[in-house]
Amino acid sequence: MALQNEDKLEVRYSSLQPKPKKWVLLMLRLLAFFATAAATVVMGLNKETKTLVVATVGTTPIKATLTAKFQHTPAFVFFVIANGLASIHNLVMIMGDLFGQKLDYKGLRLAMIAILDMMTVALISGGASAAAFMAELGKNGNSHARWNSICDKYKTFCDHGGGALIASFAALILMLIISVMSIIKLLIKPKPDSTTVVP
Amino acid sequence: MVKPKRLLRLLLRIIVLGSTLAAVIIMATSHEKGTFFALSYEAKYSDTPAFKFFVIANAIVTVYGFLVLFIPSESQLWGLVLALDLVFTMLLISSISAALAVAQVGKKGNSSAGWLPVCGQVTKYCNQVTGALVAGFIAIITYIILLLYSIYTFLNPLLGKNG
Repeated sequence: MALQNEDKLEVRYSSLQPKPKKWVLLMLRLLAFFATAAATVVMGLNKETKTLVVATVGTTPIKATLTAKFQHTPAFVFFVIANGLASIHNLVMIMGDLFGQKLDYKGLRLAMIAILDMMTVALISGGASAAAFMAELGKNGNSHARWNSICDKYKTFCDHGGGALIASFAALILMLIISVMSIIKLLIKPKPDSTTVVP
Repeated sequence: MVKPKRLLRLLLRIIVLGSTLAAVIIMATSHEKGTFFALSYEAKYSDTPAFKFFVIANAIVTVYGFLVLFIPSESQLWGLVLALDLVFTMLLISSISAALAVAQVGKKGNSSAGWLPVCGQVTKYCNQVTGALVAGFIAIITYIILLLYSIYTFLNPLLGKNG
């Protein structure tokens, strides 16, 4: 009879395992990966060339070609690098979730995942906020420092930058949820190999 | 065995409180009158939204850090404190990243956008802003150490049961 009791407890325990939670986390990671990848790609390919007529000599106008690239601003470079690293992190986590269930290092797997998730949240938040304030500076200028806004000349550059920023902020919110879920998973870690079910 | 841990956490929290308070004060009192091509103007921290965000974020964390010092140990609130620590670390990182981005433009300018650097005209203002950013960095690094230490001490009793 004691054996039957133990079997019943084990069966009940295995049905309590968080199966739906695993798929929710995977879906969130996939969404976050797409968001960060989109932000990286859109900002990385952000470039606009404009030909302006600078002066007119006689009848031939002198044209100057000016380019707006994301590499001109260190904040945008940091934005691209941060989102790139975040997408690599998400990709590695997704692969680990799908294919590497048995990989463990002294039982520290969940702790490492939680810490890496927090680091990625910090990275994305830093990159997104720096790029957001630089974009605000580019859109509104700064009258005190005599910095003119550039968005009226390079409209496509500004639009694409704004789209990348929105994707990055969405990724930030998703990564925050994922990080909280990872930490919760860490705190309510089940003990599957405990045989001392008898109180 | 408990006392050194509490002492270390208290020390880290005091360092964080001190550096965020210093960052707020140094940034808020930075203003200088300068001349820019025969036009005189005053450079204040409130000219730039990024610096305003920096001051507000550090002020929030200062008030929070001050209130946390009064929570008695072994209270149920420490779980909430851990979660809030995470959120405020993210806030601090965000604010210093933004302030650093704008300060870099102020110091080096941006030739492709036609933005001239302003640090040549208002050197004292630039130095004070740099000082505030350094204080912010110290706050963040200490906060990250505190966060990792809090998570470690919070999880150790839970992980210890697994043997």
